Amino acid sequence: TAGNRIFHFGHCRVSMSMTEIRLGFTAIKANIQARDPVRTVSILSHPHSLHKFKSSDRCCIAHHLFNFYVDKVFKHCKTEDSYINRKISSIANSFLSMKRKLRQCHEQNKCMCGEESTEKFKQILANYDGLNVTSAAMKSLGELDILLDWME
Amino acid sequence: EDALLPAPQNISILSINMKHFLSWSPVIIQGETVRYSVEFQGEYERDYVNESWIPICECSLTTATVCNITEDISATVAYNLRVRADIGTRRSEWGTLKGFFNRITTSLTPPLMKVIADGYHLLVELEDMGPAFQFCVFYWKKGQESRVQQKVVKEASSVVHLDTMEAGPDYCVKAQTYVEAINRSSSFSQTQCVRAQGGTSMCL
Amino acid sequence: SGVLCCSLPSPRNVHFESINMKNVLHWSPPEGTGHGVLYKVKYLVYGVGKWIRKPECRNINRTWCDLSSETSDYEDQYYASVKAFLNGMCSDWIETTRFNPLTDTKIDPPMVSVSSTEKSISVILTAPEKWKRSPEGESISLLQVYPGLQYNVSVLNKKTKKRWWFSISNNTLVVPRLEPGTPYCVSAQIRVTTPLLHSALSKEYCIVTLKDKTA
Repeated sequence: TAGNRIFHFGHCRVSMSMTEIRLGFTAIKANIQARDPVRTVSILSHPHSLHKFKSSDRCCIAHHLFNFYVDKVFKHCKTEDSYINRKISSIANSFLSMKRKLRQCHEQNKCMCGEESTEKFKQILANYDGLNVTSAAMKSLGELDILLDWME
Repeated sequence: EDALLPAPQNISILSINMKHFLSWSPVIIQGETVRYSVEFQGEYERDYVNESWIPICECSLTTATVCNITEDISATVAYNLRVRADIGTRRSEWGTLKGFFNRITTSLTPPLMKVIADGYHLLVELEDMGPAFQFCVFYWKKGQESRVQQKVVKEASSVVHLDTMEAGPDYCVKAQTYVEAINRSSSFSQTQCVRAQGGTSMCL
Repeated sequence: SGVLCCSLPSPRNVHFESINMKNVLHWSPPEGTGHGVLYKVKYLVYGVGKWIRKPECRNINRTWCDLSSETSDYEDQYYASVKAFLNGMCSDWIETTRFNPLTDTKIDPPMVSVSSTEKSISVILTAPEKWKRSPEGESISLLQVYPGLQYNVSVLNKKTKKRWWFSISNNTLVVPRLEPGTPYCVSAQIRVTTPLLHSALSKEYCIVTLKDKTA
């Protein structure tokens, strides 16, 4: 197709458009990150960066991370600012449709989870559970560009 | 308790080229100014946030009977929309759009296009339809319809160079829009043909 | 050290200015302070446990500090912070927002070189390089950092005043079948689609196609 980006996660190939998520996040990034006072803890990058993983593990990590954001993060990010809430809704609904696309790979067994990726995702959940839920959710949302940079 | 206001009726969506408008029939109360408020609910809100609704502040307590919901319909999922009427403290029930709205159903119109021959150069000027739009431009030598070439134009705000022409044959061009977010294309524009060294002839 | 802290107004507008990932911290002096203010700088890799002092920016009187070396890994994100000192008083530490070199840098226009024959012009574009520690250091083109990088090239016929645009992914463009003895001006811009970045338009590089020998 002419422009829809094809993402390669190991054997899994998914056509996705990230532009709108990027624009949505860029619009709220400063506001959301300003609500996260803890500089020395990262949900996604501690102790190792997402970039460290070999390509065969990429699909599993992406699949888990989409579920993580949809199931655990967005719903706990409600703010007093209507504009911010609307942008979060836009990102959350975009994640939902991408999560569905990645599920196809999972169902076609193209999204195998190796030990490294399973361990990494456990670490992410541990990082998340180490904070109170609102702080953890807001921090995770503030780290969305870490996920987007890694995916692209 | 004041008599309940009737809920807005005939709620519908007009969606063309990824611009989405919600409209409804006015609630008529003699001598009163009726105001309306709009809320939306995406699939995420339905499935993960207890079916919560989100207000659109640009369309809160508005007297208009149309609301531009483009900014909020920014994912390719099924959305619910609802409207209610207010007069002071009196408030109607919500009137809800029948069925969901998914932007994948937006109607895409072919792009306005102008084909230019400048010396030996084949150029095209396309209407700027917003950041969601790219253009697939197809061009071929007249009579060689089987050897069509394609170029993707991501920005339409200027004269875009397609190719260098040979003297003699007509070159014909048609274009369609492509929206990456919904992975859909419009139908083709009318074909336009030109020849090197100027001269525009319209192909019927 | 007996210094009465936090009574000096804080430095203002502490932010990174980044071009081709040369990442320089800038700030404005505290309100109402004239000369003599000194500053200290520290930085932190987001998600990593400690702030790190920048020795070369300790007790400086300028209002910038080059942190390119410390922030060169663009897979990480960073914070930086500045503290002011004057006459035994000092200010609070004032931090930047979170800095992401990959999305928050500005990209210079490409270098453009143009040559011509009688009836054509050839354009060669060179994307800027990522900042590097020393001239001998390994050169990394921004093309490697942003694989989706494209060029928009404008070709202006100075005689007819007509401007054409080309969008190319590789770095060369040949425009054949032009008018002999005609001035053409070329300028170019870089566009990256994800993340969404674009450079300014380069300045114009003008050239005249050779005269038609047969004329």
